[in-house]
Amino acid sequence: MGTILRYDQEPAYGRDVTEPTFPGVVPPERTASVDSLGVRLNLLEWGDPNAVPVVLTHGMWDHARSFAVFAPLLARRYRVIAVDARGHGDSEWAGAYTWLVDVLDIVAVLRWLARPCFLIGHSKGGGQATDAARAVPELVTKLVNIDGFGPPSQPDGDKPLPQRCLEFLDVRRRAAERQSWRPYKSLDELVERRRAQNPRLSREWLRYFSFHGAHADATGWRWKSDPFMAHGFGPWQPDWIAPSYATLRAPMLAITGSEADTWGPLPEHILAARLAHVPQLERRTIQGAGHFVHIEQPAETATVVLDWLEA
Amino acid sequence: MRLRHGRIELELHQRARRDGLPLLLLHALYGSSADWGEAVAVWPGSIYALDFCGHGHSDWLTGGGYCPELLVGDADAALAHIGRAAVAGAGLGAYVALLLAGTRPADVPAALLLPGAGLDGSGATPDFSRRFPTHLIGVEPPASAARHDPLVCANEMSVRPIAYAQAFAETARRLLLFEDGAPRPPWWDAARQSPVAEVFSGDLDAALRRLALASRSDECAPPPLRRMER
Repeated sequence: MGTILRYDQEPAYGRDVTEPTFPGVVPPERTASVDSLGVRLNLLEWGDPNAVPVVLTHGMWDHARSFAVFAPLLARRYRVIAVDARGHGDSEWAGAYTWLVDVLDIVAVLRWLARPCFLIGHSKGGGQATDAARAVPELVTKLVNIDGFGPPSQPDGDKPLPQRCLEFLDVRRRAAERQSWRPYKSLDELVERRRAQNPRLSREWLRYFSFHGAHADATGWRWKSDPFMAHGFGPWQPDWIAPSYATLRAPMLAITGSEADTWGPLPEHILAARLAHVPQLERRTIQGAGHFVHIEQPAETATVVLDWLEA
Repeated sequence: MRLRHGRIELELHQRARRDGLPLLLLHALYGSSADWGEAVAVWPGSIYALDFCGHGHSDWLTGGGYCPELLVGDADAALAHIGRAAVAGAGLGAYVALLLAGTRPADVPAALLLPGAGLDGSGATPDFSRRFPTHLIGVEPPASAARHDPLVCANEMSVRPIAYAQAFAETARRLLLFEDGAPRPPWWDAARQSPVAEVFSGDLDAALRRLALASRSDECAPPPLRRMER
């Protein structure tokens, strides 16, 4: 079995790479930790600690630093808290990853704040923020969902269920051999890998993002995120999204980008059919942005969000 | 013995060592391998009883995340160790046995589904008016003597759609469904409709004898099982 690299191990290599800069990035003013179900979650904070809180939740394989430009724009008026999801960024790895416990993790952060807040989530974090708002309606005054409205159809839906389960089990049988990501030789290799997945994001941004999303040791650079999250299997169906929206009590601002991307936006007829179930809905499309709306157009997105939160 | 599944270790108890097809026992929700007692002594081959993660002497998952599919992974880790085996599961273990039997039919010649805790899940479709289990947050970790992780209750909230159960029931080699007149959840009723399913009543000894017969008959291609009338 290989060495398990954990978030808390001191990097022995790569310190010669200084923190990349990116226009508009403001380093977090504070960090905090919240225990959720025995997992330590890492939080980054900007803004007046006494202001109304705004909680930000990121998507799959992202981390809280993905909000390092967007969050400071909101922090002019609010206390902004960006959460590293379990198994991502500087939060601890967990024994397992399910949608339910991710939602409970967000609820744990909202309980820790102990006052009603605005909740903003992107992609998978947007879907989970929506469920967190359903779980603790008394703690979420308004909800912003940035392109987190689920996949258009069941992933691998054309494959028979037992076949998908077999692939899941085969991966798990091999999983003990793969305890961490393979190392990349340099930060630049990480950046290129990420850019292949998110071609709309600039190398300059991805260098900042990857620096904080990876750690380095004598063997090279590895993502901090837990590779065990890569494979899941279960009965969940996209048809369940719309009826879940119907039970939402908080008003929702639904934001999408105007541009096609490797992920999203959903075909309009699917998105409209799902959002039709949201009791109190506002929609905005941000021009010139793909899936990573708040990264590609942070100023415009922040303006839209601030206007809606204060309306 | 200890088995590795992902980052945790599971306890697999060998209860009998005999020639013949092994039997893998999967306990109910909140249960453990100890629940099977001596009732399984009639099995002609070796007997193995697994503790699912979060139960018995198996490790707990840091931060929960329990779901039936993950427990199928536990059972599959046991199957990888044992080799081809009949499977008997109670309650949640019955649902896990169905999914495992449908996923690895070549390795599971027959599965016996028994009632028990965690049999129902939360039904065939999600109930969106249901409260999230937010009461789990901030629960003090129980004493180490606790028999199960309190977070395993997430299995009770697992949705078990009819079409999902059907898909596994159709690819399974043989299913024996133990019925006693008590109501059964929709996934069970769906599994019962499979052409390879047989409904069985009686005591556990008789069910295991039937399971042994069904497993053996699989090897020499007998006529299909008759559906037994109650």
